[in-house]
Amino acid sequence: MTEHAQYRAAMMADPHDDDAELRAHREACAECRAFTERLLKFESRLERAMRVDFPPKADVLPFARKQGKAPLAARRWMALAASVLIGAAIVGGVWLSLPQPGLAAAVVAHMAGEPEAWRRTDIAVPQPELADVLKDSKLRLKPDAGIVSYASSCTFRGHKVPHLVVQTSSGPVTVMVLVHESVRQPTQFEDQGYRGTIVPVPGHGSIAVLMRDSGIDAGEIERIAARVDDSIVWTG
Amino acid sequence: MQRRARFQALCQSLRPDLLRFAFWLSRDRALAEDVVQESMLRAWKARDSLLDEDAAKPWLLTIIRREYARTFERKRFPTVDVDELIAKEEPLLAAAEEQDINDVRVAMMKLPDEYREPLALQVLMGYSTAEIARELNLSGPAVLTRLCRARRQLRAACGEDTSQDPQE
Repeated sequence: MTEHAQYRAAMMADPHDDDAELRAHREACAECRAFTERLLKFESRLERAMRVDFPPKADVLPFARKQGKAPLAARRWMALAASVLIGAAIVGGVWLSLPQPGLAAAVVAHMAGEPEAWRRTDIAVPQPELADVLKDSKLRLKPDAGIVSYASSCTFRGHKVPHLVVQTSSGPVTVMVLVHESVRQPTQFEDQGYRGTIVPVPGHGSIAVLMRDSGIDAGEIERIAARVDDSIVWTG
Repeated sequence: MQRRARFQALCQSLRPDLLRFAFWLSRDRALAEDVVQESMLRAWKARDSLLDEDAAKPWLLTIIRREYARTFERKRFPTVDVDELIAKEEPLLAAAEEQDINDVRVAMMKLPDEYREPLALQVLMGYSTAEIARELNLSGPAVLTRLCRARRQLRAACGEDTSQDPQE
């Protein structure tokens, strides 16, 4: 086998293999670099395809049923109590779920599928195009938000969401406005060369902010996320 | 009681990943749910053998693989007809709003078991080659070969350019 074939076989077995020899070969070989980019793009599709959704289940205690049932009257009371709780949660608009564990991974997987978004540029997306992307999420950006060099309405976990790239002094920053994804507290993540945070926006879901291949620290990411949050005007 | 609550929380947090794994193992949503449910029951009964909660995921996954194998032994399923499986899971496949995601799912359904399972372990469960080898009782090179072939077949089935893929 040639070195190229060895490299490609290794990458096809594990596209995220960060072995130093593989990295060195990739840096020296444009063809294998292009091959890797195509492979990673497909890998992102594969990761999304494998993330099949199942409806959540409140009772994952199968043993409770098998190991002796509670008396019928007690079960009726428990059912009634559960109904009251569920009803209260719905009526009160209480969102009880924890931050969804796969959310950060899904954001990163989505990034890998749109490498063209990461170009460093000072060309802004035309205003009507940007407004069109933002309107469904009922928001607009303040004029001082920075240059928005990429704006796309993307399907993310079953919903159309704005995917923006804002050019900042620290480099391009990707922003995904996730009005359908609630998180309780800021959640930092670092995965596949991306570093970012998902911050809650009370009443409007959350915002994911991330950067790629940068030596940026966690504090700076939080500051960028706060600036992004400040630059959004909710219109609905 | 506290232990039961902890176990419930553990199962709840791991359930989505375990269901996905079971689905790609069986390619059958209902069967996946049954297998995971039954596995959790077995896990609860064998809870004393789990010494470290951090190891719960691989521990449960091994139980799921055994339970799936047992289901096959018990029911003695006839030879699997992939087209039938795909037709049965059509609502799931149609749920993928993006056609390219749908194409990958159909290609995954058609992938032979020996390629699909290590791929699911790697992509879904984040297993390393050594961990996959241990779980499937294979050598490291055999795992790498299967993963490589799995991706080659998937990429080809999805119309990707495979002209630069390594030849065997």
